[in-house]
Amino acid sequence: MKFIKDYLFPRLVQYLLVVFCGITAVFFIPRIAGQDPVLEMIAQIQVQGGSLDPTAVESLMKSLEELYGLKGSLFEQYITMWKRVFTLDFGPSLFQFPTPVSDLLRIYLPWTMGLFITSTLLSWILGNLLGGISGYFSQKRWSKVLDAIIMVIRPIPHYVFGILLLILFAYVWPLFPVGGLVLGRRTAFNLDFVLRVLHYSFLPALTLVILGGASWFQQMKLLVQNVKREDFIQYAQAGGVKERLIISRYVLPNAMLPQITQLTLALGQVFSGVLIVEMVFSYPGMGLLLYRGVTRGDYNLVMGITTLSILTIATAVLVLDLIYPLLDPRIRHR
Amino acid sequence: MNEVLKAENLQVFYVLETLGEKRIAKAVHGVNLQIPGNEVYGIAGESGCGKTTLLKVLFANIEPPLRAFEGRVYYCVNDKYIDAFSLSAREKRELRWTYISYIPQGSMSAFNPVKKLKVTFLDFLESHVRGKDREELLSLTNHHLKTLGLSPRILDAYPHQLSGGMRQRVAIALSTLLKPRIILADEPTTALDVVAQRAVLQLMQDVQKELQNTIVLVTHDMGIHANIATRMAIMYAGKIMEEGSTEDIFNHPLHPYTQYLIHSLPKIGDKTPRESAPGSPPSLVEPPPGCLFHPRCPQAFPLCSQEVPELVRVNIDHKVACFLRGNNRASCS
Repeated sequence: MKFIKDYLFPRLVQYLLVVFCGITAVFFIPRIAGQDPVLEMIAQIQVQGGSLDPTAVESLMKSLEELYGLKGSLFEQYITMWKRVFTLDFGPSLFQFPTPVSDLLRIYLPWTMGLFITSTLLSWILGNLLGGISGYFSQKRWSKVLDAIIMVIRPIPHYVFGILLLILFAYVWPLFPVGGLVLGRRTAFNLDFVLRVLHYSFLPALTLVILGGASWFQQMKLLVQNVKREDFIQYAQAGGVKERLIISRYVLPNAMLPQITQLTLALGQVFSGVLIVEMVFSYPGMGLLLYRGVTRGDYNLVMGITTLSILTIATAVLVLDLIYPLLDPRIRHR
Repeated sequence: MNEVLKAENLQVFYVLETLGEKRIAKAVHGVNLQIPGNEVYGIAGESGCGKTTLLKVLFANIEPPLRAFEGRVYYCVNDKYIDAFSLSAREKRELRWTYISYIPQGSMSAFNPVKKLKVTFLDFLESHVRGKDREELLSLTNHHLKTLGLSPRILDAYPHQLSGGMRQRVAIALSTLLKPRIILADEPTTALDVVAQRAVLQLMQDVQKELQNTIVLVTHDMGIHANIATRMAIMYAGKIMEEGSTEDIFNHPLHPYTQYLIHSLPKIGDKTPRESAPGSPPSLVEPPPGCLFHPRCPQAFPLCSQEVPELVRVNIDHKVACFLRGNNRASCS
């Protein structure tokens, strides 16, 4: 009970405050920017469709203002925005009018989740495991060779590596599609969907796993080389504890602690997606969606994605804070 | 004599290379030791004199930048002397904890901070004992802790939940789990208050009495040596200066350095200021010629800066490396 009063409750208040401030900032920033999406939209229509009579323009402006949540005073708009956040209904998207933003998210999100979460987890596990073992045996020849290979791979930009994979495995040796997947309105989680995600996301996932894994590898290797010099490792070695045990129970659990924090933060990025990779492989993910939303001034869409992004990152950090004592018993909630 | 541990002419140096410049720190410089069974053998000396390095060498745990240039360490296993440096990594691993074990300097960080102590005990046991399941090993640990007067409840604690003194006693329990013949203890009481020191020393004495084994105790604290060591060696700048029974060393110190060490100890009722050795310890990288102590020695004479005195027997059971004490190379030649 002391835990709830002294730690959990203040931490939850802090969480809500972070979400509140974040969403408020997202509300104000485009309004400070001084663009008027309604006028822009009408200008666009006039450019495309010639003349509109003034009454039509008037009623069009009214309905657009309502759609964008721009009706009334700033305070009224702010209240409307919160209503939208709580119902998770962000109004219609502009560039795919009149599809609601929530529908777009529902279509794109599973694709990003499938690609992004799998590849992040996979690269984290592989990078940390290999980096940990290689850091522990840093004097061995194979470890030095591996380190040199990783050192060459890691700084390659995602788009270069992605295009390289596309040329090799989609063009020269067409095992995988070049991209250009067309999304249906509904996505069901069945075997067919999973296979389709796998087929289309293999190359982008490979890019992310190799490049992401390389940077996890380098971080973990450095961490392990430091942990290796700690007294308790040297003592266990002196005491003849088996190497397998030293790596699995001493080195990795201790070196991994900062990496777990990093992983949580990385997973929180799921809503902003991995834009460059999605562009290279024309993969229908959140990154691409957000990019289109930004370039076409689709305020509702941007608002929806950023709101969800704030929510996930704040929640991820909250969960991490709550479970951290399980990973490092020295941490206590006070 | 029934030595359990012998060291012959150890020359073990730190080889440090900075910017292509090679520097050699002579941390253990011509050390001979015969450590008998069933004793508490003390090694005393000030900080940086090579005490800890000597223990590492005796433990046959020599890793870069430390390098053994000469010398041998012998363990007496089943009445046969075996050369510790020529053992394979696997043979060494098997002797650790069953024949020779180690209590680290400052047990504050000797245990895995993210696992319960139970796991650490099991790790050490599982690595040495074959054919027993976890339950058996755990009850063995429980039993061992009880005989040492420690509560088995500590097994469910994390290292950071114990006090420094408690952690040190747990380290002793861990290093004596498999009843080793030799225990090397590196400053086991440093960083503890006197009450905790007493408990730790008492525990070490109890263990020694029960196992009838040898504890090699390294500390700069002469009071502790006086308390529990039966024999002791005085180390200075990588060399043994004097060696004998603790009683002889304290009652009749022969080497000027030992005399300084012992006269610097406070005595009850004596209010005269204590005198310490003038100057500071020599550099191990560029040691002075001749006797290493001569720059600080009030009784030095010309020979001291020219030749190195050997450690020679002056009494039945007392050795010293000093030209002042009769039978040395000067008198032999």
